[in-house]
Amino acid sequence: MAGSGHAPLRDDPNVLLTIQDLEVEFPVGKGAVVHAVSGISFDVFEGETLGIVGESGCGKSTVAKSIIRLNDIKAGSVDYQGHKLADLEGEALRRIRPDLQMIFQDPISSLNPRRKIRDVISEGLAVWGDDRGSWPQDRIEELMTAVGIDPKYGDRRPHQFSGGQCQRIGIARALALDPKMMICDEPVSALDVSVQAQVLNLLEDMKERYGLTLLFISHDLSVVKNVSDRIIVMYLGKACEIGNADELYEHPRHPYTRALLASIPEPAPTVDPSDGDIEGELPSPITPPAGCRFNTRCGHASDICFTEEPQMQRVPGEDHYFACHHPVEVSVGV
Amino acid sequence: MADPQLSVRDLTVRFPTTRGTVQAVNGVSFELEQGQMLGIVGESGSGKSVTAKTLMNLLPRTAEIEGSVMFDGQDVRQAAADGRDHFWGVEMTMVFQDPMTSLNPVKKCGEQIAETIRYHLGQSKSEALAMAEDLLGQVGIPEPGKRVSQYPHELSGGLRQRVVIAMALACQPKLLIADEPTTAVDVTVQRHILNLLDSLREERGMSMILITHDLGVARGRCDDVAVMYAGRIVERSATETLFGDSRHPYTDALLRSIPRIDQPSHTRLDPIPGRPPELINPPVQCAYAPRCRYAQPDCLKSIPEAQGVEGMHEFACHHPANTDQGREALAANVAAGRNASGMPVAGYAGTGGF
Repeated sequence: MAGSGHAPLRDDPNVLLTIQDLEVEFPVGKGAVVHAVSGISFDVFEGETLGIVGESGCGKSTVAKSIIRLNDIKAGSVDYQGHKLADLEGEALRRIRPDLQMIFQDPISSLNPRRKIRDVISEGLAVWGDDRGSWPQDRIEELMTAVGIDPKYGDRRPHQFSGGQCQRIGIARALALDPKMMICDEPVSALDVSVQAQVLNLLEDMKERYGLTLLFISHDLSVVKNVSDRIIVMYLGKACEIGNADELYEHPRHPYTRALLASIPEPAPTVDPSDGDIEGELPSPITPPAGCRFNTRCGHASDICFTEEPQMQRVPGEDHYFACHHPVEVSVGV
Repeated sequence: MADPQLSVRDLTVRFPTTRGTVQAVNGVSFELEQGQMLGIVGESGSGKSVTAKTLMNLLPRTAEIEGSVMFDGQDVRQAAADGRDHFWGVEMTMVFQDPMTSLNPVKKCGEQIAETIRYHLGQSKSEALAMAEDLLGQVGIPEPGKRVSQYPHELSGGLRQRVVIAMALACQPKLLIADEPTTAVDVTVQRHILNLLDSLREERGMSMILITHDLGVARGRCDDVAVMYAGRIVERSATETLFGDSRHPYTDALLRSIPRIDQPSHTRLDPIPGRPPELINPPVQCAYAPRCRYAQPDCLKSIPEAQGVEGMHEFACHHPANTDQGREALAANVAAGRNASGMPVAGYAGTGGF
């Protein structure tokens, strides 16, 4: 599974971010490296929500962090509106940063416990404001109101808020600099279900109101489907399947996508529940399997899967790409 | 009908703190028949883990406990008072959420399991280690002979959770309490672990309590489900009834608030407004009333008693959903634009199952 290739890249003026052949490795000593991301290519349209789904260790957070330079990349390019992000240095990089903001998984630990939330939200403005670091006084009030926190609580500190409220504060902080793109790394995983729905709706509202492009990372397939226009399914550092959210869940081609969809407690109606019985353990990312990376656990694997890496190919007529030598046929025909 | 294997009556747990007394569990009652799986669902702070820890005698000494817990004809709270160490871990065991923190990181997996066996059953070290290896095989761990001498950090999350399950099974328990056993693992692993628990329960005729915040997990695996909110069971019934014909507005709202895989993307979710109440000095009213679309003035005056068919489908609500009484209350609130405690209420399209 899990192949490479540029098929999913679109030649279109609306493209905001293009990732090509991204590779990220982390040394773990004695010359060994973890192959966290191994050649992934995709793009994001302006105003689109792209979901990345996969299990722990598949590299989804590493992709996100590579975009905002929280980790170095080994090869490939991250192209944001004509800027090669990986090559930017110093002031040029600093100028780009407000455009790309991130929301993290644990809402409480991502806020400084010793600061008032008004200061937490306005820190970016204090750095960026205008030349004197000033900004309209009602800006913070507006942001707090927009995310559903009463501005009168601006002098409170993070521990005085619940997890859901802290995540709202994190969203307000990300919005403060009027970003183009917001990267959400498991933003609702730490929240209770009743609060999760509030935050997901809030993200949709903020996207609408501030014209955002979202990159939404989650291990929860239902959550990802709810917010995304397009979805990438990742496994062991590679992309298996990319496509329109509804189409991908309706007609999953890759055996791994089907396994994921069949494993959730309320399996998707489009797959056979027995597809969820994938055997064995996730292989080590230090020595990933040759050929298709899913070959150790795939029920369809044949000789070619162990020698040749599948390339991304398009489902004719659909915004849907998969990398598999033996895709699951669906009734509409490939 | 014989007495149920486990019977909890009017269980109340309070924790004195410097800010006041926390009412963690408030008059919880339920039964469990042998071989059955009971699901307890609820959000953080609803009292589901405290209930489990009460059964397992794991609460701190400061906790004030009232009510009765009968298991297999024995008074569990009396067993605690008598210091019967070989009750927990033998007749009744528990599996915790995070397998990394429930295993000792500096002790080999086999030794940890053997420790339990030696303490409770008095086996020799070599006998206990052989049993440990056998148990690892039973919970589906490949190469058990190699795993017994590995440390927890050498195993994946899924295997670690299997080691914890093997340890819990070591003394052939009659009841296994699993507190969020799959919350820390991925979906494909979750499926394996839940399948394993299902088959072990069947093979051994063991009863289980599955504590989870995931309604999908409860629906797929449990015979009965109890929904907890603010320290009380607000609804309890057979799983099918609960998911198809719920009565408590909280259950109904929870089912509506989760994104569903069979809905198209960008389906607007129906969240529960507000947040759970403080458990210190709660007012005498239905705890859910401030967030409830159905709440009427009487909901703010008294705590609703459980009603319905005892042991079959019980719910604690003055204006139950999916009944004429509930529909009237909802229609009145929608017309007024707010509920009895002032929360805005907008109409939504009909009521429906999960």
